[in-house]
Amino acid sequence: PLGAAGSLPQSFLLKCLEQVRKIQVDGALLQEKLCTTHKLCHPEELLLLGHSLGISQAPLGSCSSQDLEVTSCLSQLHSGLLLYQHLLQALAGISPEVSPTLDLLKLDIVDFAAYIWQQMEDLAMAPSRQPSRNPTPTFSSAFQRRAGGVLVASNLRSFLELAYRALRYLASP
Amino acid sequence: ECGHISLSDPVVRLGNPITASCIISWNCSHLKPEPEILWKLESEHQPGGTQRRLPDGTLQSNITLPHLNHTRARLSCYLQWGSSYLQILDQAELQAGYPPPTPYNLSCHMNLTASSLICQWEPGPDPHLPTNFTLKSFKSRGKCQTQEKPIPDCVAEARQNHCSIPRKHLTLYQTIGVWLQAENTLGTSLSPQLCFDPMDLVKLQPPILRALEPSPGGAPALPGCLWLSWETHNSSWFMRKKCELRYQPRLAEANWALVTPLPSKSLHHELCGLLPATAYILQMRCVRWPLPGHWSDWSPSLERNATE
Repeated sequence: PLGAAGSLPQSFLLKCLEQVRKIQVDGALLQEKLCTTHKLCHPEELLLLGHSLGISQAPLGSCSSQDLEVTSCLSQLHSGLLLYQHLLQALAGISPEVSPTLDLLKLDIVDFAAYIWQQMEDLAMAPSRQPSRNPTPTFSSAFQRRAGGVLVASNLRSFLELAYRALRYLASP
Repeated sequence: ECGHISLSDPVVRLGNPITASCIISWNCSHLKPEPEILWKLESEHQPGGTQRRLPDGTLQSNITLPHLNHTRARLSCYLQWGSSYLQILDQAELQAGYPPPTPYNLSCHMNLTASSLICQWEPGPDPHLPTNFTLKSFKSRGKCQTQEKPIPDCVAEARQNHCSIPRKHLTLYQTIGVWLQAENTLGTSLSPQLCFDPMDLVKLQPPILRALEPSPGGAPALPGCLWLSWETHNSSWFMRKKCELRYQPRLAEANWALVTPLPSKSLHHELCGLLPATAYILQMRCVRWPLPGHWSDWSPSLERNATE
């Protein structure tokens, strides 16, 4: 059940796809920077630490193609972007070499979240209140911030792949 | 202080009157016979000063220059005392000009490489006065009827007609309202306001166009062909784009031939139908597509001979 898919302007979907690709590039740059600068290259080595830090994945169940429900898919996409925005904010002070890349990624995620929210408001799809903020992990050392950066970037990558598939499906004629 | 000039206004509109007053202290003016205050604009004597001795003993002269037609001029206050040399007691710099004209042709484009929005404008005729240009903008939505959040002013450097708003002040994919304020001592003027999503004004870097050797695998090369490859700058990798190629014989006065649309990247493109063994000039440009954007500049020219 697509629901409301027809009401989504094509330019909105094309701009969403563009922003996903833009954020994917930013995310890849962040992963590359963390690997070259701090030799933290493999998220799978950090799963235990990630679990203890409480770095959660953002759910996108409503966007999977079997039962794609547009309004809740956009809501989940927006909430997920907010989660990653807050996670990235918690990484502030990660390291001088990585910070510029992190800041650009944050800016693009903030803009994408705002873009989706505005469209949902314009189409009267937006929930009455912005989603409540999830508890954000506390990173108590430089190492934890960098390791957290690797994990967040990795989770974000999977999140964006699923989002991209859903948006491309919605944009397909 | 021996003498001091005070002005009605240090800056006036060109051609307008300006009034000055020169006051000379008692100890510099209690001379016999009564000294006379004289005025010079640059080196030209200015008659018409009205002189009087004030109760506190100071000597004052007022003068009104009916039309100040110099954009810059030096007004000097002299004391004539007997047959001695004229004594300069003070000088004032006069400035004249116009209020800033309304700037026009304000246009902007988003530069992905610099990650900033660059706006430029035409300042209009020279007002002959130092004029500050400030790019004003605010975050908005839709048709920019509401100001959601102000963006810090972008003050253009002196004598520059462009300004760049950095990425951190922008919200991409949402509309912003932008206008230009020109200001000098005689007034302020505003350009019309623009309303746009910065990404819809993206101007890509020119693509990189390369020539390739005749087709791989040693297949006999057709006469009048060229092999090309191209790619766009990685700052726009995430954008869907289209490109176009133009070419013309180097020597002949022919028009450009155009091949469009072309994909934004090609590892191996065969261009045929050319004059065999003839030198050609080729250029390429790209644009965000199907979403709106500005065409990039043409790439640097590539010169190659078509096969024989």
